[in-house]
Amino acid sequence: MRKILNILLSGLLVFAFWSCSEDIMDDINKNVNDPTDVASRLIITDVITSTAFNITGSDLAFYASVYMEHNVGSYGQSYSAEIRSGEPISATTYNNSWNSMYRNLADLKVIINKCSPEGSEEGNYHTLGIAQILNAYILAMLTDLMGDVPWTEALQPGEIFTPKIDKQEDIYKVVFQLLDDAIENLGKETTFPSLGSQDFIYGGNAKLWLQTAYGLKARYTMRLSFKNPNYDEVIALADQSYKSAADQCQFKYNASTTFSPFYRFFTDRDYFAPSQSLSDKLTNRNDPRVNIFWKEHPDTGSSEFAPNGSPENIQGKYGVSAISIPTAPTYLLSYHEIEFLKAEAYVRSGNNDAAKTALKKAITAAFQKVNIGLTADDADAYFDSEVLPKFTADPLSEVMNQKYIAFFEEEAVEAYNDYRRLIAMGNNVIVLANPLNANQFVQRYTYGASDVTTNYNVHEAYGDGTYVYTEKVWWAGGTR
Amino acid sequence: MRKFTFLLVCMLFTVQAMFAQRTITGIVTNADDGSDIPGVSVRVKGTAIGTVTDLNGKYALSVPDDALTLVFSFVGMVTQEVAISGRTVINVVMQPEVLDIEGVVVTALGISRESKSLGYAVQSVDNQDIARTGNVSLLGSLQGKVAGIDIKPSSGMPGASSQFQIRGARSFTGNNAPLYVVDGMPIASNPIYSTGNSVTGADISNRAIDINPADIESIEVLKGQAAAALYGIRASNGVIIITTKSGKNLQVGRPVVTIGHNSSFDVVSRTPDYQTIYSQGTNGNYAYNASTSWGTKIIDLPKDPTFGGDNNGKPGMYRVFQLEQAGLDPWVYPAVYNNWDDYFRTGYTMTNTINVSQATSGGNFSLGFSNTDQTGIALNTGMTRYNVRANAERKLNSYFDVGFSANYSDINIDKLSGANDGSLAGVLSAPSSYNLKEIPYHWPGEPTRQIYYRGGSFDNAYWVEHNNTFNEKTGRFFGNAFVSFKTDIANNMNLKLRYQLGADNYTTHLQDIFGYGSRNNSQGEIDNYGTTSTIFNSLFTASFDWLINEDFDFNFLVGNELNHSNSKGYSDNGQNFIFPGWNHINNASVVSADEFQWANRTVGVFGSLSLSWKSMIYLNATGRNDVVSTMPRGNRTFFYPSASLSFVASELEPLKNLGWLSFAKLRTSYAEVGQAGNYYENYFVTPTYSGGFWLGEPIKYPIGGVRAYIPSYSLYDPNLKPQNTSSYEFGFDLKFLNNRLGIDYTYSKQNITDQIFPVPLAGSTGSGQLIMNGGAVTTDVHEIILYTAPVRTSDFQWDLNFNFTKITNMVDKLASGVESIFLGGFVTPQVRAGIGNTFPVIYGTSFVRDDNGNIVVIDNPGAWDHGFPMPGEPAVIGEVSPDFILGGTTAFSYKSVSLSAVFEWKQGGHMYSGSNGLLDLYGMSKVTEDRESTFIFKGVKDDGTPNDIVRGGPTDPLAIQKLYSDRLGDIDEFYVHENSFVKLREIALKYKLPKNIYKTATAGISVFARNILIWSALRNLDPETSQGNTNMGGAFERFSLPQTTSYGFSLDITF
Repeated sequence: MRKILNILLSGLLVFAFWSCSEDIMDDINKNVNDPTDVASRLIITDVITSTAFNITGSDLAFYASVYMEHNVGSYGQSYSAEIRSGEPISATTYNNSWNSMYRNLADLKVIINKCSPEGSEEGNYHTLGIAQILNAYILAMLTDLMGDVPWTEALQPGEIFTPKIDKQEDIYKVVFQLLDDAIENLGKETTFPSLGSQDFIYGGNAKLWLQTAYGLKARYTMRLSFKNPNYDEVIALADQSYKSAADQCQFKYNASTTFSPFYRFFTDRDYFAPSQSLSDKLTNRNDPRVNIFWKEHPDTGSSEFAPNGSPENIQGKYGVSAISIPTAPTYLLSYHEIEFLKAEAYVRSGNNDAAKTALKKAITAAFQKVNIGLTADDADAYFDSEVLPKFTADPLSEVMNQKYIAFFEEEAVEAYNDYRRLIAMGNNVIVLANPLNANQFVQRYTYGASDVTTNYNVHEAYGDGTYVYTEKVWWAGGTR
Repeated sequence: MRKFTFLLVCMLFTVQAMFAQRTITGIVTNADDGSDIPGVSVRVKGTAIGTVTDLNGKYALSVPDDALTLVFSFVGMVTQEVAISGRTVINVVMQPEVLDIEGVVVTALGISRESKSLGYAVQSVDNQDIARTGNVSLLGSLQGKVAGIDIKPSSGMPGASSQFQIRGARSFTGNNAPLYVVDGMPIASNPIYSTGNSVTGADISNRAIDINPADIESIEVLKGQAAAALYGIRASNGVIIITTKSGKNLQVGRPVVTIGHNSSFDVVSRTPDYQTIYSQGTNGNYAYNASTSWGTKIIDLPKDPTFGGDNNGKPGMYRVFQLEQAGLDPWVYPAVYNNWDDYFRTGYTMTNTINVSQATSGGNFSLGFSNTDQTGIALNTGMTRYNVRANAERKLNSYFDVGFSANYSDINIDKLSGANDGSLAGVLSAPSSYNLKEIPYHWPGEPTRQIYYRGGSFDNAYWVEHNNTFNEKTGRFFGNAFVSFKTDIANNMNLKLRYQLGADNYTTHLQDIFGYGSRNNSQGEIDNYGTTSTIFNSLFTASFDWLINEDFDFNFLVGNELNHSNSKGYSDNGQNFIFPGWNHINNASVVSADEFQWANRTVGVFGSLSLSWKSMIYLNATGRNDVVSTMPRGNRTFFYPSASLSFVASELEPLKNLGWLSFAKLRTSYAEVGQAGNYYENYFVTPTYSGGFWLGEPIKYPIGGVRAYIPSYSLYDPNLKPQNTSSYEFGFDLKFLNNRLGIDYTYSKQNITDQIFPVPLAGSTGSGQLIMNGGAVTTDVHEIILYTAPVRTSDFQWDLNFNFTKITNMVDKLASGVESIFLGGFVTPQVRAGIGNTFPVIYGTSFVRDDNGNIVVIDNPGAWDHGFPMPGEPAVIGEVSPDFILGGTTAFSYKSVSLSAVFEWKQGGHMYSGSNGLLDLYGMSKVTEDRESTFIFKGVKDDGTPNDIVRGGPTDPLAIQKLYSDRLGDIDEFYVHENSFVKLREIALKYKLPKNIYKTATAGISVFARNILIWSALRNLDPETSQGNTNMGGAFERFSLPQTTSYGFSLDITF
């Protein structure tokens, strides 16, 4: 008996030790569900998607749409933004976008490291160049809306928990440097295969990405015009960009696995009503788009316009946007924007004839957006009868108002950037109707709550959030 | 049946008689289960001559010739006097003491110990207390009955999850629920899926729901870490030791059959107070599509220029657009509807049990079968549960015992969704003017196309019944088999070896369907997901008992445990049904699938040493070394010690003979235990697009066959180490007046350090969270248990017991740079852990206040919000944990009738009541009914003077709407309420038929009620209604499923 027990006991002991050796435990704890490393081409796909959908297409644009009176916020958070109650000063308002922008920057950092010297994909120049373009794009979006933001100490999770804030002026230097680097890299030969179908925008076409890099440089050069005007440079850069709408940097939705953000914002939330002031601008111009932009609310059949700044807090009372269709693309940079940039630059350099040509191309492209569906002839007729007289009277005003209208509704953020720049430059040409703008014009977006609550640098800069009504960003004449 | 005792021990003296002339031997056994009773005092009456029984209940005593009577006494047993009458062998069967408060209890790893020997608090609940009112939820049946615990049910929905914490929380986002051990086998009790942020979808039940309360013989709650330390890394949250019915405690004899039936009728526990004057609409005008009720007076609806009948040839009537949609006559007379009461039905719960048990001289067995069928108060909710159980034990010979315990359960739960997917959002807040129940919920001929009173993402509750599904199905087996070997090594030593192998295997399938036509996703969405999990548990123990001499008793135990689990899960998502009427994944136009597998193993080696002296001092020390797979290499091995001391002061000579003091014990203990994290090497994931403004997933990979991967939002710290809890407790147990009055007090302190939690990272770091150690929590707990038996005669007995709990659970520290941890909710409001606050807190937009804490109002004449409060910075706006919980149980019995009641008073704490805030925002709560008087919002102006700005009245008719709808709706603090309440948890009247109904058959009948809200600080809703099966439980409510009050009866027959 004792012998048996001894054997049993020692057997158990051996079993006990064997059953918990480090190797066995490693094997048990192996994560079989997720890869620990993937190639850059599989990462950049989502940076493209997320940049288009989360950053350019969604929340930032929805709020800009309210502030720019492309839409009237008539329910939920959009209503609060419309009546300037809570939303514009809250750190939570843009938190998802804030996190998304940094997260994509972090993904880009992984790609850029992989594709740079010493990286596992050294020599993958085109992916590197595309990553640099996207990096510049997101960084500019971040600083245009939020001003001074963390950059040099950002993107080091677990090492730097509280990144310090960098000046917008310095961040813009980084933006231009990244675009220059991208232009250089996209011009190089590479042995790595093209991104192909992993690139939802251009199918890996390096030439079109190169045009995008030039186009973005044109946009950002124009952005800094209040600080450092250089209209010849804008024109020169724009000339190296898109030749037609077929070239533009747009993310298309298939209405099956991907849906346009404004469309989903309606189906999921129904927070918007048609803007009275935008409608007035169109009516004022006999613009044929007045019959295209809006339709009846599907639940109630109502087609009312909502007064800017004082709508009723209700769903179904007003009409809805007719161009928020499932496949409406998100424009990272549109061809019509390039032509508008040229038009403005020509006007500002006194070359009105060239401006007219560019403006006409811009309007024609805007008329032919997939969710507008007008023709070049419609644009011609409209241009001759309505735009030209106004252009003759005040070229800058007409260029900027046409750009403002053309940006409805996917490009509200660019409309917001233009508006703030124009005010800084003394060109109060786009007239907004919300009476609350008298002392509550939203000069900028708040920082994201994830930093406000965990990063004292950002917490301090945020204060109580009311700075958004008083402090302009650096390029619009502010200090931070 | 638990053995209760409470008599003072009287067996310390064993002076052997010098002039012994004959020897009497015998064995003392327990009448309850026939087991031997060691340590029984055997004395010759009127002398000091005596001895105690050995480990096998045997004794041998030399007695003088003139001895006439022997006295047998033992804690918890009725003292017996037996005439010697010339015999030399006297075997005695002792009956348990009737008035028992505690006796032998089962402690960690199934070790039985005398309650008086324990240096830590253990509380028992027996079958009668659990099953009295037929609660189908085990956790629900424990409420109010144990000190030191807090059980928070999420709702009255069938199968609803509950949060169960013993002595507060130790982990922020991880597990705080105790370990469940059923018949010696640790089993899974937590929800397999977390409700995440808990603002979408349906609740997901705890796996504790698989246990049928009617199967339980007794429960021991090991509250402190010292009590649980032998369970090692899983012990930090305490242990619930469940013993199922086994027949062991029956008298040896024929089989006993028990048949029980229980029926209860459930009604919604509370109806909100609604305003019944104003119609749907805004700005004082009727609007047929408004979510709000800020319209005209209902009686004035016929005067509406557009919809009123007065000017449209239908005097006194008005036109309802939705009736028009339904193809019915749209003209109706204005009326007031209570859509809440119209919707909820009387639920019905039925439980049938049958149990056969038998004890024989060689063993015992028990077979049980039960089914529970529950129909919820909300349409399309319910639960069906089947439980089958078999237990048996057999004595093979004098050395070997074998036995097994097997349980199978099958459970099927139909649920509804809450919060942002609130199935009942419209039931809560439908306008009083709208007849939600009678107006059709769909267009004629188009059953999936909704007709509803409002826009937005919420579905019509009546449409939900036919189109949405939230279902959970679980089949589960758990059980174990053991073999034990027992031998005497010497007269006063024995050795016991025991090996047990068990398994806990379950498969859960969940299905969430938003049908075609759902407002949430117009073409619908389906999620099929589930997990199969298998846990193997191997446990070997060797225990050595040595009765060193009459004063010293020594016990040594060593063992090894291996716990291994394998899980495999799947998740299939289908979006956009192609045609209506078939909500199946094969009808979805976009389908994606996911699969998960994981495993973990814990291997432990443990030992325990006990030493006792003279039934007065008991010392116990344990140690356990665990190796866990889920931690990083090199950081997997941990050692946890514990020590405890019990001092039975009433054994001291001076105290021993005090008539009024029956028993006095001091106890203290110290322990350290940990909790492991789940570590992985950093990995990449498929990105998902949900949350924020999105109801479904607007982007779904693969996109046209293309996939993408990005670094996971969660990173892991490779230096992760286990979280540690060091705790000490001390307390005393006092019994007075022949045990008629007793008080147990325990103070415990836990220092919990190195919490493992996802540290939220600043977005600018580019990542979301880092799973690392950080933080410190301290918990101070006072527990008082008061037992009284004010009346005790042979016919009439009255017991009154109280359980008092005060838990202070403070978050002292988080990881450096981290101010808070998100537990659930929205960006604001949310439930979180915050430094310097109790755990958890509610965080959200606060009122702007001055330095004295007064709400500051805007002084800006002409502005719409003139005289209104302002939304301030986000801040902590409420602490969730209560100041104290007082449970009370009382039982009267007179002859065959007994009346018992359990009440619970929870004082303090806050909750976020989204439904209350929204009732105000929508203009549906009673407080919004007066829209004609002027009002002054209570607060101060900028200069600190009391607000005197008068708003409202005939010249300012919209002010009240602007206040509730546009301003207070933006201030989360307005939604936070104190959460004190008093509930009558249970009341039951039982009548046991005095005569046998047929031959040996006895019967009992009882009527009962459960969960009667007596008083609540929260308005409109039952305070035990909330979102989430996570650590945010009980803190956050938003269109949550309501609680129920139940009334019922039960019958049982035993033969």
